[in-house]
Amino acid sequence: MDAVEKANAERQRRWVKDQKVGEGTYAVVYRGRELATGRKIAIKKIKVGQFKDGLDMSAVREVKYLRELQHPNIIELLDVFSSKTNLNLVLEFLDTDLEMIIKDRSLVFLPADIKSWMAMTFRGLEFCHRNFILHRDLKPNNLLIASDGQLKIADFGLARDAADPGYKMTCQVITRWYRPPELLFGCRYYSTAVDIWSVGCIFAELMLRIPYLPGESDMDQLKTIFRALGTPTDEEWPGHTKLPDYVSVGQFPRTPLRDLFTAASGDTLNLLSKCIIFEPRKRISARDALYHPYFFALPYPTHPSKLPKTAAQTAAASRPPDEVDGNVDPGGGAPAGVGKAAPPKKLKRKLSGHDLSRNIARKLDFTAS
Amino acid sequence: MATDFWASSHNKRWIIDRASLKQARSEDLRYVESPEHVDFLNIYFANLIAMLGKRLTLRQRVIATATVFFRRFYVKNLYCETDPFIVIAACCYVAAKAEESPVHIKNVVSESRLMFSQEGYGVKNFPSDNSKLAEMEFYLVSDLECDLVVFHPYRTLLTLCGREAAHAVVSEAGEVGVGIDNGPRYWGTGEGRLELEEGPLQTAWHVIPPPPSTLHSTLLRPKTDQIRALNRFIINDTYRSELCLLYPPHMIAIAAIYLTLVLNDKTREAIQAQTASSTPTPTPRRSSRTNTSSVHRKLAAAPQQQQDFVGFMAGLRVSLPTVAMIAQEILSLYTLWERYSDAAPESGLGQSAVGDTAGDDVVTPAFLTQLLLRMREARLADLAHPASAQPMAVNKRLERTQAAG
Ligand SMILES: Nc1ncnc2c1ncn2[C@@H]1O[C@H](COP(=O)(O)OP(=O)(O)O)[C@@H](O)[C@H]1O
Ligand SMILES: [Mg+2]
Repeated sequence: MDAVEKANAERQRRWVKDQKVGEGTYAVVYRGRELATGRKIAIKKIKVGQFKDGLDMSAVREVKYLRELQHPNIIELLDVFSSKTNLNLVLEFLDTDLEMIIKDRSLVFLPADIKSWMAMTFRGLEFCHRNFILHRDLKPNNLLIASDGQLKIADFGLARDAADPGYKMTCQVITRWYRPPELLFGCRYYSTAVDIWSVGCIFAELMLRIPYLPGESDMDQLKTIFRALGTPTDEEWPGHTKLPDYVSVGQFPRTPLRDLFTAASGDTLNLLSKCIIFEPRKRISARDALYHPYFFALPYPTHPSKLPKTAAQTAAASRPPDEVDGNVDPGGGAPAGVGKAAPPKKLKRKLSGHDLSRNIARKLDFTAS
Repeated sequence: MATDFWASSHNKRWIIDRASLKQARSEDLRYVESPEHVDFLNIYFANLIAMLGKRLTLRQRVIATATVFFRRFYVKNLYCETDPFIVIAACCYVAAKAEESPVHIKNVVSESRLMFSQEGYGVKNFPSDNSKLAEMEFYLVSDLECDLVVFHPYRTLLTLCGREAAHAVVSEAGEVGVGIDNGPRYWGTGEGRLELEEGPLQTAWHVIPPPPSTLHSTLLRPKTDQIRALNRFIINDTYRSELCLLYPPHMIAIAAIYLTLVLNDKTREAIQAQTASSTPTPTPRRSSRTNTSSVHRKLAAAPQQQQDFVGFMAGLRVSLPTVAMIAQEILSLYTLWERYSDAAPESGLGQSAVGDTAGDDVVTPAFLTQLLLRMREARLADLAHPASAQPMAVNKRLERTQAAG
């Protein structure tokens, strides 16, 4: 084993992989823990498959940004290591996400709770935008919640650097209900404002407890938006009729937000309205949002630790740490059929042994020549 | 990740000290006759990346990123134990994805095969199977520890030299960031910008892609002295060395500006006069020698001549000795590069002859490919008989050179 493999094996040995907890588009997610401390972690194993088409673009984007971004409101990538034919991302373990919390009917949200989640979202997003990174997939499901209540922006599989002006980007991004009208009209030159629209939709969803603009198709999404906010005039949004995929979906009158959000304060509605302005350039920036009077008015944001928790979170938090971790002996006690928590000895052997699935060696294979 | 270099993986994990770099190459050095052969390999591989990148129509920035990936990979690996050609292909493939301009794996494989199989390179066995490149991609990304964001000197140069001066040339390369004016960059405030005319700026930063005809001849035909002079733009050139592993990009940018100012006027006149007068059958070696030495003279005389320039450099609050050191290293790269010729070799001629010439002669890609194969065989022999493993004999020439001075 050379120095590089040794370093990798050492990193790998720091982490124990337990049972599978989820599956994403390009990765399988396992629960795990840090061997030395028992700290809960998630291991995201990127499927490389049989090396057919190379690494998925989402995987490249995700590792690229998570390796650079360190912020309390962005999911933390603790380590990376490779096993046989997989890249493994070691992430902080996050118990739940904002979607599950919104859907949990047993929970009651106070305005101060919503303010707290919004502040954490804007803080994480401001950090992304400050570094010229567009997230391009903000939705409640991608805002994960740590056991201490901190909200973390996750899933950077669609993120990219804000392109140079004049450089085209795809408009096929952001889950439909959270997608801004300029993307629905096929705009290929866009900015950080696309994420702000998504945050606006999330803000509204936190108050309504159901998705604010649930379109059934891309076309219906535009209708849904205009039904809620009125069809934009050329004055409100100059030039939008010239966008590549512009279609007229009918004239809808503007209804005041107040009609739907009856209980919201004036500051709340003011900030919400600034997030969902049609003209992208007029939409509020993440930085300005953080200075919006909403965040300085009463009630003040709830402390993260006091935010509403789902039953699962409460259960996890009330158990002592080693029980939470399953306290699995790194040789035996892993749940049946999962058994991924290999003993260090076995890992070592696996790494140094010849692996038939390798077509080329990282190093030249001198035995073959 | 356009702003915070200091917090970046680039700064935290990939600026290494000279001793580590030396350590990384020490095994390779056992298998070459002269240490400068390894430096020639560094030039050769960077050229291959640039050429493959152009075939794949990658932007300059993507090519630069690919080159940095390559350098980082070989901090952890040996030339004599790997296949640098497939590593080169993987670097271009990953860099294209990392810089948001992906190319299909099939294209990378077929363009690599086409290019490497050209006579001048003599690489016969580039795999035709996509899965081999995909597998190399995996090893590359693993060894890069998933650090895929690379900072380059271009932005610093742009900001230091002022947006107006830079804009005309810059926009073509697509390097202007969104919100380039939105707040301070990592190296400072942009106060007291240096006013540069377009001419010297292009010297420091080659941003205008050569017209297709020039490009073609650059890639496929013997480089004339003229093209050589025109294409030698300092920042791009630094990627032929390992400077990107040793210094932060803004320091390299400042060194490039420093050199540009030092090289300005007289030297440029000299270069122009030379290329104009020596068009028919240029002797690359001699003419460029003159260049280099005049550069050295100019460098020595620089401080007195460029008063406001000194003020500007001092205002940057960076270590001037470091800047001067980088500049010196760039110059020694040029000195070496003068003896490198990527002229397409006339069938078979040259390679073997060059193999046993003294260190002074022109080194060709074919020679370097052969060198690599020999290194590999010697390594294989050593690994097959670990007990008797000895540094390859030779180094006589080296001893002689050293004795000579
Ligand atoms: N850091 C984490 N902590 C706990 N569970 C996670 C973590 N990351 C992902 N998961 C779980 O794995 C599932 C898949 O994650 P991900 O790959 O992000 O999905 P997708 O690609 O579909 O967005 C998630 O739905 C979640 O249940
Ligand atoms: Mg997700």
